[in-house]
Amino acid sequence: MFDFTVAGHVVPIFLLVLTGFTVGVVGGFIGVGGGYMVTPALIVFGFPGYMASGTDACHIAGKSVISSIRHRQLGNIDWTIALSMVGGTMLGVELGVRLLVYTKNIGLSGVVLLAASVAVMLGLFIYTQVETQKSHKKLTADRKAGKEIGREVKVSTLPLFFQRIPIMPIIKARKARLVISMWVIVIVGVFTGVLAGFLGVGGGFIRVPALVYVVGTTSHLAVGTDLVEIIVSGGYGALRQSMEGNVDFMAVFFMIIGAMMGAQFGSLATSFVRGPAIRYILSYSLILATVGAAMRLVYVLTGGTAEWLAFIAVVFTLGEMVFLCLFICTLVWFAVRHQNGKTVPEWVPPLVVTA
Amino acid sequence: MKWFINNMFGYWILLLVISCGLSAICYELFLKQLMK
Repeated sequence: MFDFTVAGHVVPIFLLVLTGFTVGVVGGFIGVGGGYMVTPALIVFGFPGYMASGTDACHIAGKSVISSIRHRQLGNIDWTIALSMVGGTMLGVELGVRLLVYTKNIGLSGVVLLAASVAVMLGLFIYTQVETQKSHKKLTADRKAGKEIGREVKVSTLPLFFQRIPIMPIIKARKARLVISMWVIVIVGVFTGVLAGFLGVGGGFIRVPALVYVVGTTSHLAVGTDLVEIIVSGGYGALRQSMEGNVDFMAVFFMIIGAMMGAQFGSLATSFVRGPAIRYILSYSLILATVGAAMRLVYVLTGGTAEWLAFIAVVFTLGEMVFLCLFICTLVWFAVRHQNGKTVPEWVPPLVVTA
Repeated sequence: MKWFINNMFGYWILLLVISCGLSAICYELFLKQLMK
């Protein structure tokens, strides 16, 4: 009654609902599809690789629609940036997939892909973590000095450099309150799309930092705007995978049930925190995904013989989803406690919004 | 224990240990047979 069969495997339904919920919370909060977490998790549940990838793509598309609707209500989407970026993203994904096919044809595939994933994610993690810690320190200092602090604090000067590039057409993003050359947004879309296509992921965890540190939006707007991109890229992926027969729609149904609740909660949770909190969770997500990819790289390089490594990889894959979901849930709980004047850990007040 | 709550890095470690522990239990109870 609580199990169903997919490709000859009996899968507990509650695990699918739980996966949908946890990834929904994380995706709604940091603006990612979560493919790098869900596909390995579905393989752990016994799905064949092709079915895991297709089912995940379908679930991501549905979840991103739910999150985007909520973020739109919260005013976290800049449509000018989102629509300017869509074309570049699609072109980039196509180029990335072709690059992937090319590397496979010349005999480089799994190892190169994993090594590239590790390098990109590690670099993004280090930059995001360093910048966010500086912002956290600035928030703490401003708070102690009694200054009024807004919802976003950034110390990176990179966006100013990119906003000064004078190549026409220059667009005015009203919601993000910035003026920038449209080419910068398109090129960000192409570049992040290439990485996404090449690494075989949706690209949210690359696009969100790019929107924050290159285009110069706030973390909240980056999350909402990126989810719109994921609807387009994820929807296209879902359509293609469905046509190939790689989707188990019953599994998608149960995951979407969990994701509906999770994505609503994750999106709403952003209204309780300041920008650096979102970037912290994003950087944690990046380092966990990096460690997961590094473990798979070691597993491949050792010829797939280390059984203990496979066990750790499984526990880590599931653990990272639970960890991120728990971190977001407890952060919201701390925010509510802080708003009610109750005691919270010292690192919390600068990161949460006071009523 | 206080350090794990009051320090952000400590809290990070605490939650990661809890999460991986829960996942290991879940793996032993439900997933081990599925993966064979």
